[in-house]
Amino acid sequence: MTADSIDLATLRHGARLAGFTWTDAELEELRPLVEVTLRLLRALDAVPLGDTEPTTQYRTV
Amino acid sequence: MTELARMIATKAVSPVEVVRAHLDRIAALDGDLRAYITVCDDAALQAARAAEAAVVAGQPLGALHGVPYALKDLYDTAGVRTTAGSRILSDRVPARDATVAQRLGAAGAVLLGKLNMVEFAHGPEGLNPHYGHARNPWDRAVHRIAGGSSSGSGAAVAAGLAPGALGSDTGGSIRIPASLCGITGLKPTYGRVSRAGVLPLAWSMDHVGPMTRTAADSALMLGAMAGYDAADASSSVLPVPDYLAGLTGEVKGLRVGLLRGVFGEGAAPVVRAAVEAAATALAGAGAVVDEVSLERMDLVAAAATAIVGSEALAYHTEWLRTRAAEYDPPLARRLRLGAFIGGARYVRAQQVRGLVREEVDAALARRDVLLAPSTPIVAPALEECEAMLGDGPADVRAALIRFTRPFNLSGHPACTLPCGFTDAGLPIGMQLVGRPFDEATVLRAADAFQRLTDFHARHPVLA
Repeated sequence: MTADSIDLATLRHGARLAGFTWTDAELEELRPLVEVTLRLLRALDAVPLGDTEPTTQYRTV
Repeated sequence: MTELARMIATKAVSPVEVVRAHLDRIAALDGDLRAYITVCDDAALQAARAAEAAVVAGQPLGALHGVPYALKDLYDTAGVRTTAGSRILSDRVPARDATVAQRLGAAGAVLLGKLNMVEFAHGPEGLNPHYGHARNPWDRAVHRIAGGSSSGSGAAVAAGLAPGALGSDTGGSIRIPASLCGITGLKPTYGRVSRAGVLPLAWSMDHVGPMTRTAADSALMLGAMAGYDAADASSSVLPVPDYLAGLTGEVKGLRVGLLRGVFGEGAAPVVRAAVEAAATALAGAGAVVDEVSLERMDLVAAAATAIVGSEALAYHTEWLRTRAAEYDPPLARRLRLGAFIGGARYVRAQQVRGLVREEVDAALARRDVLLAPSTPIVAPALEECEAMLGDGPADVRAALIRFTRPFNLSGHPACTLPCGFTDAGLPIGMQLVGRPFDEATVLRAADAFQRLTDFHARHPVLA
């Protein structure tokens, strides 16, 4: 398994942790999308965020 | 809508005639355009008759008295089914109106019906396998997308099947169909317009706003809808200005920042040229135009994906467990993706959101509005999967949301309006982005541009 790939067992485990029991066929269909998305989301890990607080709403004044 | 409201109030035209004309046009054209999911013929005529009686009786009239409009089919409407473009909710009939539907009704507006959309608003192309794909009215030879997710709103207003409509915008779903269909669309500041009674895609990214033919019409609708609502936890208590009164046509001294970087290089050449010509036109009218880049735009896709993926999964969890087969399969896959994002990445995405917001705020610190293309391409054909942008080929889906999504993340108000046409006659849209809660300046600039040009006054030729 490369850094950009994810195997079926890992997908199955992740889905179960999230509370879903998807079939292996459903997880196989998801696999390319999950791989592309996790590659995209790694950009978030590289951002120096300092003490920036999470924003969940804009500015409701 | 402004003109219809004036004509109705002065008895130049009857609301019954206006509503009937729209219903006749829907009956004639919507079999092909597929803009509507539900048409409220009887209720609309009944409301129009009541509106006419009020005019004749000399009663006080609301700002939209007797003026017809339509709602994207994710706004709750009492007694009228609200499907969100889905099979799952195909028989759902709400007991109460969404706050904005209630407010527009109180202003006298007459609901024509509920508009087609992407299933649960999750997608920018405007396709719907359950109710049919709304068709872009600007091309009768080729089936081009209307854009989404408010596809029916874009197609209906462009084709004259409604003088105005509401859309919702989570990644660009007001501005994309407005751009591709050659109309005006306003995504207000997050918190400016209540989301209560509007089915969510992603609560922290969803915005509610008007789609109309002119900026003045958007100002009219916004004025009737905006303002605090206790039913929406993110609703602002700031007072609502008189948006129509602010449309002075004056842009002398207005500071306009023409967005460069990806907003320039990432657009198809014809789109970029049209937006630059718009900047020149505004400068010619006295605006002070400079150029500005936003360096953090490369983080937007990751942050928005994490936020929308997580929030959409949270909303759909129960149906994914019990009714997954009723989703369009590609949508089910996109929703399931949220299970693999993780809580920490969701929070990091919200932190990145703060950085993006700061950067847009900084760009607006010395400017009144920012100017950029709304979409990097014009309406693609239904089967097109790849688009050629100024900086290379891109997936159509990703391309469509490239310039709109940053301002869902930041929450700033943004108005799209037509700024040109291709040689093939397809509309090109530009967006004006303003300071938080300064929709008045955004609308003033948009209206002033429409006084300088006639792009908004062109309409597709339909049988």
